[in-house]
Amino acid sequence: MSHAPQIEQALTQLAEFGADARQGAEAALPAILRHGEAVAMTWLQTASKLYKQDPDSGRAFVGGSVEAESASEEVLRWTAQAAAFTRWAGSTQVVEGFMRELPAAYALLGHAGEEAWVGFGMRWCERHLDSGRAYFAVPVRELSGRQGVAGIEQILESAEELYDARHLMLVTYLQGALRVRNLLGPQAVTPWAMRGSDIMQIGRTRGEAYFRLESDESLRLLMDSLPGFRPVERSRLLSLLVEIWFGENIDLKESTWSPEKGRPFIESDGQSLMLPPVLTDQDETVLAVLHSAGSMIHGSYDPKDIRRMFALAGVAAPLEGEPISMEPLFVRFGDDMPRFKLIFDVVEDLRVDVCVTRNVPNHLRRMLREAESLGVPPDPAGSYYRYAIETLRFALGQPNELAAAERDLLARVLDPAAGIAESFEVALRLFEITQLPEIDSHEAVVLAYLPGRSPNASRAFQPRERSTESQGGQSEGEHGESEQDHESSGEQEQGEGAEGEGESDDASETEQQEATGTGTTQGVGSAQRRPGDESGKGDGSLDKGIPYPEWDYREQRLKRNWAWVQEKKLAESNLGEARRLEQEYAVPLKKLKQALQAQKPTRLAPQRRQFEGEDIDLEAAITYVTERAGGMSPEASVYRRRELNQREVSVILLADLSTSIMQLLPEGRGRLVDRVRAGILLFAESLELVGDDYAIAGFCSKYRDNVAYYRIKDFDQPWTSEVKAQVGGLSGRLATRMGTAIRHATACFDEVSSRRRLLLLVSDGRPEDYDDGGDRRYLHEDTRMAVKEAVSRGVHPYCITVDTLANEYLPQIFGRGHFLVLDHINSLPRRLPEIYLKLRR
Amino acid sequence: MNNAVNRERGVEHDIVHRPEADDVEPYYEPQGNEIAVFEAAARRKLPVMLKGPTGCGKTRFLEHMAWRLKRALVTVSCHEDLTSSDLVGRFLLEGASTVWQDGPLTRAVKAGAICYLDEIVEARTDSTVVIHPLTDHRRQLSLEKKGVEIDAHEDFLLVISYNPGYQTVLKDLKPSTKQRFVGINFDFPTPEVEKKILMNEVPGLSAEIAAKLVATGGKARGLKDHGLDEVTSTRALVYAANLISAGLEPVEACRAAMVNPMTDDIELSAALSEIISAHFD
Repeated sequence: MSHAPQIEQALTQLAEFGADARQGAEAALPAILRHGEAVAMTWLQTASKLYKQDPDSGRAFVGGSVEAESASEEVLRWTAQAAAFTRWAGSTQVVEGFMRELPAAYALLGHAGEEAWVGFGMRWCERHLDSGRAYFAVPVRELSGRQGVAGIEQILESAEELYDARHLMLVTYLQGALRVRNLLGPQAVTPWAMRGSDIMQIGRTRGEAYFRLESDESLRLLMDSLPGFRPVERSRLLSLLVEIWFGENIDLKESTWSPEKGRPFIESDGQSLMLPPVLTDQDETVLAVLHSAGSMIHGSYDPKDIRRMFALAGVAAPLEGEPISMEPLFVRFGDDMPRFKLIFDVVEDLRVDVCVTRNVPNHLRRMLREAESLGVPPDPAGSYYRYAIETLRFALGQPNELAAAERDLLARVLDPAAGIAESFEVALRLFEITQLPEIDSHEAVVLAYLPGRSPNASRAFQPRERSTESQGGQSEGEHGESEQDHESSGEQEQGEGAEGEGESDDASETEQQEATGTGTTQGVGSAQRRPGDESGKGDGSLDKGIPYPEWDYREQRLKRNWAWVQEKKLAESNLGEARRLEQEYAVPLKKLKQALQAQKPTRLAPQRRQFEGEDIDLEAAITYVTERAGGMSPEASVYRRRELNQREVSVILLADLSTSIMQLLPEGRGRLVDRVRAGILLFAESLELVGDDYAIAGFCSKYRDNVAYYRIKDFDQPWTSEVKAQVGGLSGRLATRMGTAIRHATACFDEVSSRRRLLLLVSDGRPEDYDDGGDRRYLHEDTRMAVKEAVSRGVHPYCITVDTLANEYLPQIFGRGHFLVLDHINSLPRRLPEIYLKLRR
Repeated sequence: MNNAVNRERGVEHDIVHRPEADDVEPYYEPQGNEIAVFEAAARRKLPVMLKGPTGCGKTRFLEHMAWRLKRALVTVSCHEDLTSSDLVGRFLLEGASTVWQDGPLTRAVKAGAICYLDEIVEARTDSTVVIHPLTDHRRQLSLEKKGVEIDAHEDFLLVISYNPGYQTVLKDLKPSTKQRFVGINFDFPTPEVEKKILMNEVPGLSAEIAAKLVATGGKARGLKDHGLDEVTSTRALVYAANLISAGLEPVEACRAAMVNPMTDDIELSAALSEIISAHFD
């Protein structure tokens, strides 16, 4: 191809930067030349200027020119703009970003808009090249948020202010701001930025982390301002509902959902439910919890059915003990996989929801109502959504638009005995006959689910046997079911923190641990001994401590001098932590104190028939007068006195300090021990105000001859900062030989004179020790015995536990009404003083 | 005429009044063998302890038994400040002299009535001691101040109620008191019986609503170990049924009778409301 001489010359010049430079320019030239040779010359000069500064800039310019020209139908303007970037050394990435986004800028913003877009960028390049780079790196579509130039202005407005006031660079701000706008809408950006500006004032690093959305506080702020219903905050309600309707405890955890992942769903791994931070409303949330819990209970994860399904699909069954993925079942559908999966889910969800309706009478009706009120999503998802609604109507016996053949198929899964395998069969047949459209994008697929439903088996899961009662078979297998329950919860206890998929290894490990009976004392798998084993630790040290008997239910006798208690002082103390907790709980503490103050007048028990006092005891006075008149000589005890009846109640707060209290809380905000510490602090503060006599102690154990009893505060010891510091430094260790600790605490009551004696146990699990040989019943029976002994000595043990499975063993140990299971660990600090005050009434 | 006046001002009864022959039988639906046990105890003059949660029918049972046995029923609701003289009696001034006035227990002992000490645990311990000699073979009440002892009328029967579910661990009857009584355990009735009770208590209540109320109550009782001091009682269900038959929407009625009085806890009342709307949706 021949060119005009001057152009040829310019091209030759370009060739100095490499052969590809010239080739690139030649390729683009025809498009440019449409605007005339003069324009082409300017373009070529700019190209070589850019090449000169950095070959990469030149390449980006030349390479992007054809598209830029076709989008803008001009050359000079953007050529000049590109040339302007050469003012800054190191602007290569700016040019690259600019050239990449040019077509989009013209398309979305128009010519004037494009100019404004570049203008903003230039200003930032001038201030801070990195910020300019960050600006041009963002796709125009994202930057404008479909609002045109106004969108860009709006997002930059706060940036300008922040730059002026705090010298915050756009590079720090931009990504976070865009994310905030995407998630929460444009109106959220300014408040978010203002808050960030405040944080910036406290500390620059912290502020920058906030703007990058790297700090917890900004993420929390974001999550907090998401509109909708927060399942995690209401997890107590939700777990209450699961227990009411299904009579089972299912662990509720927080999922790792974040807003970019699209529509939030409740997920399940076959053992527990993962709640997203936010769902539409309470109705949807309750439906979702009931539906997901229902699928666990009604056999969506049933190993037998799953094997049958794999056999039906002709795929090798998953290995025993491995987490199961359903994916192999769907592979053969190829491109039609999303369509089949959706149909399968409609069928299986219908089966589960019909089962759930047998537990919860209005479940189906409520789902239908919620589905209708939330509105149908756009097609193709809408077709599936409407189809699912029709199946609900069919199940409810309402008129529906399903074909007769479809109804016949679906009727099969309405049978109470049908399992997920039947759903699979039905889905295979339905797949052939329904008219549902193609669907491929993930965004569309997630919209197809009715409120409360979610993609089944979206993550790998552990099989869970169908609860037998749900199948209609009654007494049989009851026992097996509760076994299963045990095991699963044991796993959850330990799998904490390890979210989701990676849990498989943990699970098999913990199963072994369960077997050795050291469930709550994790990480120690060694040294099993039979409880009757003589050896003990036997280092024969001098301070063997105080011996107590222990009850052996197998021999039906007390073994004398069996368990040895050593009284100790806690070595650790942490005043800072105590102070921090005091601060953190300042509000509840203040409320508690106010409540106590308000109660105080009534709590001052009037003492009647006193010889002196501020009030006349009317009844005593009348008795006195009448008796005098009757010729007797009564004692003149006619006064009543209001006085704090001190030493009326004595209480020991006995904390279980076993290893398990060090576990991280499922919500990821601290450890169990934090709540225990806070609970003890609040308890002590309120007791100080009430004026009751109290002591604080902790216990842990390792083998029968090594039960440590930590005296944290004695009855006559004042509540000083040293004591607080000890509470602040509490930590968990070893195991839980509860019976021995109760016996020792009972003995400690000998020091006090009051008649009413309360032993308040705070625990998080069942009695267990390393040498119980896996025989849970042994220490259970011993603890039960210790409680009986305490009662006969005038001490009332009362147990507060955060172990949600405690309903299985505490009634036997403490007796009905003598224990309380807290549904939520976070409520421990507040509840502890409350419970005590209620008990002492 | 008399009835009209009675409506105007309420009716004053003496606390000891024997059921008349034409009195209406207080409705009671037996749950088990409690009637037989009670009648046997009454024949043998043994004191009776009724154990069970609030609102499960203890008081109604006793009214029914008093009617059956044709004996007067004297009820004393015990409270923290109830002293022994509140039960036994005291001297009062009258002009220049003093008069002894019998307390309700003394009157019942003399008249051969059934004396019912409701929630005996609440009373002061000194008042529980005065009943000791009444509960064994002596069947005597001693009026220390007056310096007399009364041998109980042969129809006299002492009944106490006792609610072990109460979370007042520190307040428990002394074992020495407990073991003097014949115990009858009460619990909430089975669904069929409870449904029957509702339909009897509230005339005109449809069987369908009664069944739903019973199912709601049954589920609500599952919340017992989760911080509810008292669970939904049969009495609460009767209240709800009454409100419904008075024209209130079922959900409203249940909330008024079964949720609001029970708890201030947001989560618990939300859970209760869920149960209600699930059944009455």
